[in-house]
Amino acid sequence: MAEYSCLVVEDSPMMRQLLVFALARIKKLTVTEAEDGVDGLRKLSGNRFDLIITDINMPIMDGLKLVKRIRSDEAHKNVPIIIITTEGSSEDRARAMALGANAYITKPIQAPQVIAQVKELLRIE
Amino acid sequence: MTEEHDSDRDRRASDIPLDLDRERETFVKSFFRQGVEFTERLLGENTVLREQMGELSRHNARLRAQVASDDAIRDLLKTIEKLEREKEHLLDRSNALERTHRLEEGRSEELEHELNDLANLYIASYQLHTSLSPRRVIRQLKDMLCQLVGARAVVFYAVNTGQEVVPIGTEGIEADGLEKLVVGEGPVGEACLTGLLYMRDDVQPGTPSSPVAVVPMMVEGRPVGAISIVSMLPQKRGWVSVDRELFKLLGAHAGTALIAANVYARIHDPIEALDGIIENLLRRTPSQFSPPGEE
Repeated sequence: MAEYSCLVVEDSPMMRQLLVFALARIKKLTVTEAEDGVDGLRKLSGNRFDLIITDINMPIMDGLKLVKRIRSDEAHKNVPIIIITTEGSSEDRARAMALGANAYITKPIQAPQVIAQVKELLRIE
Repeated sequence: MTEEHDSDRDRRASDIPLDLDRERETFVKSFFRQGVEFTERLLGENTVLREQMGELSRHNARLRAQVASDDAIRDLLKTIEKLEREKEHLLDRSNALERTHRLEEGRSEELEHELNDLANLYIASYQLHTSLSPRRVIRQLKDMLCQLVGARAVVFYAVNTGQEVVPIGTEGIEADGLEKLVVGEGPVGEACLTGLLYMRDDVQPGTPSSPVAVVPMMVEGRPVGAISIVSMLPQKRGWVSVDRELFKLLGAHAGTALIAANVYARIHDPIEALDGIIENLLRRTPSQFSPPGEE
């Protein structure tokens, strides 16, 4: 029985697959995939998630706009958000954190790093 | 007989002279006095002896207690020694367990990374063959290099029939400034000649003529093109073990995927693409059945 649910918003199918692979190693965590920010909002609507992982550079709606929308939404404003992106500058990081992201991971990702971050935010031992 | 004896005694007493009687009385008194003194002295000595005996008893008790205490101390010392040995044994065991735990932790971390590497390789291989469109194959390759390796600028080259190395796609770099290269010249041309993977030791940004890495795309042991990685993402500090493995995988599969996609692009129908497969499967090829040189 799943205890936690996570939404992964990423336009690259490869990256999504990689994240799903990594997150599958966390017990009792179910993962829902979304292809971009708009798809992410659709998946968020009417559903409860314990964690959101999003890319920044995506078509239609990028990750930063998505974070902004989530933080202004009463139902999801407190859900932890992890940004996973190729943008590694401190300005990009500061911008994402200022919008309300809880963690920032740069690509190429290492699965153990993502798993550790997810566990920390979900307070899983 | 008895009467005779009594009268004899009375007679004698009356016969004793008076001074002798006094002398006897003096003697008796003196005797008794001395007896008293002697008794008193004996009593005094007895008291002293009693006190000494009491003292000796107490001393004896103290000595006995001391001996008992020494025995207890000896027992305690033995117990302490035994406990010390047990402590050392437990410490040794604890240290051994600690070492094992650290080794296990290290191994577990190693396994995590290996699992991560294998997942990367699996996903790369899986994604590479999900499309039969040349454009999508190139997109998959770009994505793979960016997401899994951390490449920022990449150029894809193909070897043409005139032994030229022609740029066929780019990512993160303008295609306009790129020129045809010659097989055997420069890192890209050399990779297209030798089929050997080229990786610089560092990952500092390079140029199209001096890239960070070149992956030759091999088909049936022959280079058909190359992937030139010109620069990496700034956060990429160095190569990791899986990078080389991923390059090997791309080298072995990217060319095949591109050729398959390119051939399929002229057909547009998967059923049509399988047309004639039975004849092709039944066709006897020299390399399949005979040792080299016997045909």
